[in-house]
Amino acid sequence: MDTVQLAVLAALGVLALAGGVLVFTCNSMARVTFALLGSLCCVGGVVTVLGLPYLGVVIVLMMVMEMVVMAVFMIAYMMNPAGLMPMSMLHNKRGSLAVSGAVFVALVTAVFVTPWPAKVGEPPSDTTFQVGKALMGEQMLTMVVLGFVLLATMVGATVLATHRGRYDRFGDDLDQRPARDPVRGGVGR
Amino acid sequence: MTETASWWSLPAAPALLLTGAVLAVAGDALLAARDAGRPRTVAAAVRPLLEVVRLLAAQPRRMPAPDRLLWRSGVVTVPVAAVLSVLVVPFGHRAVADLSVGVVWFNAMEVLTWAGLWLAGWGPNAAFSLIGGYRFVAQGLAYELPLMFALISAATGAQSLRVGEIAEAQQGLWFAVWMPVAFVVYLAGVLAFSFLGPFGYPVGRDIASGVLGETSGVDRLLLQAGRWLWLTSGAAMAVPLFLGGGAGPGLPAWAWSALKTLLVLALLVWVLRRLPVLRADRYVELAWVVLVPLSILQALVPALVVLNR
Amino acid sequence: MDLTAGALRAVAARPHVLLVATPGGTAARLAAERRLRLDDLPLARTPAEADILLVAGPDRPGLRPAVDRLWQHLPAPRARAHAATPDAIGPALERCRTDLTRPSRVDAGHSSDGDGNGNGNHEGHKGHGDHHDHGGMEMPAGLPMAGTGPDRDGLELDQLHIALGPFLIDWPTGPTVRLTLQGDVIQRAELEEPGEQLGDGGDVPFWAEPWARAAEGERIGIGQAARRRAAAQLDSLGRLLAVAGWAGEATTARRLRDDLLDGAPGAALRPGVRRFARRVGRSRTLYWLTRGLGPLAGSRARAAGVGGPAARADGDVPARYRTWLADVVRDVDRLAETAPLPADEEGPRGRPAGGEWPSAALARLLPDLLEGAELAAARLIVASLDPDPDELAAAARGVTARD
Repeated sequence: MDTVQLAVLAALGVLALAGGVLVFTCNSMARVTFALLGSLCCVGGVVTVLGLPYLGVVIVLMMVMEMVVMAVFMIAYMMNPAGLMPMSMLHNKRGSLAVSGAVFVALVTAVFVTPWPAKVGEPPSDTTFQVGKALMGEQMLTMVVLGFVLLATMVGATVLATHRGRYDRFGDDLDQRPARDPVRGGVGR
Repeated sequence: MTETASWWSLPAAPALLLTGAVLAVAGDALLAARDAGRPRTVAAAVRPLLEVVRLLAAQPRRMPAPDRLLWRSGVVTVPVAAVLSVLVVPFGHRAVADLSVGVVWFNAMEVLTWAGLWLAGWGPNAAFSLIGGYRFVAQGLAYELPLMFALISAATGAQSLRVGEIAEAQQGLWFAVWMPVAFVVYLAGVLAFSFLGPFGYPVGRDIASGVLGETSGVDRLLLQAGRWLWLTSGAAMAVPLFLGGGAGPGLPAWAWSALKTLLVLALLVWVLRRLPVLRADRYVELAWVVLVPLSILQALVPALVVLNR
Repeated sequence: MDLTAGALRAVAARPHVLLVATPGGTAARLAAERRLRLDDLPLARTPAEADILLVAGPDRPGLRPAVDRLWQHLPAPRARAHAATPDAIGPALERCRTDLTRPSRVDAGHSSDGDGNGNGNHEGHKGHGDHHDHGGMEMPAGLPMAGTGPDRDGLELDQLHIALGPFLIDWPTGPTVRLTLQGDVIQRAELEEPGEQLGDGGDVPFWAEPWARAAEGERIGIGQAARRRAAAQLDSLGRLLAVAGWAGEATTARRLRDDLLDGAPGAALRPGVRRFARRVGRSRTLYWLTRGLGPLAGSRARAAGVGGPAARADGDVPARYRTWLADVVRDVDRLAETAPLPADEEGPRGRPAGGEWPSAALARLLPDLLEGAELAAARLIVASLDPDPDELAAAARGVTARD
């Protein structure tokens, strides 16, 4: 790793940390969300500089979508009206300080205590392929099962949260067409 | 072989993108002139460019209690992301940076408009702007997954995320020919992330321009420019992804790239005025119930072809 | 300051015009729209986008404060003019464009948030929340926060209060619909009619003129009335298509409307009108986007005093625009008929009933149709009924037409 890469790495690391600090010091939900997004984009940059461009860019890609959706939800469900009032992001200060301090110490200790393997050979030219193989080779079954579990969770949560079931929509004999929906969808149901 | 071009490509790529966007605006102006019964002259085509001066001269706008920082970052994000996206698009056989994950890079830049538009809607502290910002998120949830599967189809067909290699993998048969669903879904996605024409829902006339409603001056210029830059960038990306890149008889590769880009762009501009705005309450269901399964099936086709090769 | 002068000349070369048609000003509005279309001066959708504020139609003292607030939201350089009659439109626009080139017009004296209204969209887009007492909590910029209430889906969502009107692009100027939104669902809609505050009620509505004149004993040919009715319905169609975001066909509708009013012969108009009717009427996309919106059974419409196309359509938004299209095609075939207008022939929006113009009943239907709809559908529903602001303003004076 040459000097330029090191400098970029350090800069991105500092920016990511600064974004993280902003998350707890800004007092608007929108700013907090986008401070977090900025931080995560820097993390994506860090991963890219470390030689995993696919993971790095995908982090940026997914986090932008995720944070925008999160902004919508955070603002919708804040306890003060719409999360629009200035508010503090710090709660249970002493407890959280203890927990986060302990976790930080544990992680840092782990970095130094772990017997890292010595570097053998050259890194592969196409790390994307390696990542794919690692995830989808031997762990294929895990990934597929995980995918289905996630999907089932999302569908299940939505079904549980909806207070209208199919009998409300299609009538007691499920023969009501079109469905009794407050607003019709786009595929003729 | 696609190679990384030298330093001069760094200013050249945005300049080419801008040229394409100006041509698109001029083409749209000519179509508008035809619809309105005005003479179709060169003057009519370039008149919309007066907007640039008009907006630069306009007074910036102040609103009570805006979030200026977020508003400005949102407004700037849209055109900047469009310019960054084009870095991986080869022009002929040269790209500014032929990244090994070019397709993902393009996708990531395109997704940045989600953040940009939501912020641009949030910033001014006005109801209709905010509704416009939310509308883009709804639209994004509808167009993004089919678009991603379209990109995945092309990448799978070429077994590479490198845009140059995807273009090369189409020697003989364009992906647009044997992945038509992916191609169409991709073009619809281009219109959607440039929020123009039928996908102009976030800036709808029914909510008084939505995201654009409170912008004037440079803010408005940047957002409007961002839309047309994105349209051009999407059209340029369609060429290596689905239309064989710079390959073609007779002409040099860069000429084929330019020609194909302009043809795709012309098609997109023509569609702009031909359809009403697709409202999210109808389009989301269509996207999830019809387009997502269709585009997954489409992605299966190159996967099976590649496995049997 | 050559740079400034050059920039201002560029602004004046293609200014965006915020066109405000006052009730009773349909003729002036049509002249202005035609002029802007032919000169390629874009219609501004919001004050933020506009360089020129052009008020078309008779001066309405009741609307003056609202017009002034619009003016405050225009960013400099800017110019404004009032044109009461169609003939005054051209000179007024020219004067504004000259004004724009004068550097002195770039004054910072008017900030665009002059009245502290956070929503400088067309006047009335006030997105302020319900006033609730927050126990002296400090409000950002002194703006009140939203209160909550139960909603359609059993949630407690914030209530957002938005007013549509009195000025809005492609909106019948005058009436204001005050909406209470939760999410994008309209929970409550209240119609605020301009009523007497507009002044004397104005002349006979432009679109209903042939019928009113026939009622006063003048001899009006069927062709003459059919021409006016077809133009009125094309005007309504243009507004609906514009709200639906179909730029191409909206422009076509307005072009055909202007051609009709210019007195183009039926033979010249017929192919264009038929092609337009075919494209719009058979458009699957438009049908897909509008089906099921604002259902209005014929019986319910008639019970509310609505006659004309809205009652005959007996259905949702597509049923109404298809009725308009069929009417336009039929009327364009009758342009040459010179027989006197029969008494049972209805005007563009139906026959006057109970001493009031048909638009009054149309406007009264709006709250019922809007409640429960989504905001995205609201403008389409209003545009598909399209109450005529002229008729609403004239309502106060009563109807002279025969019942």
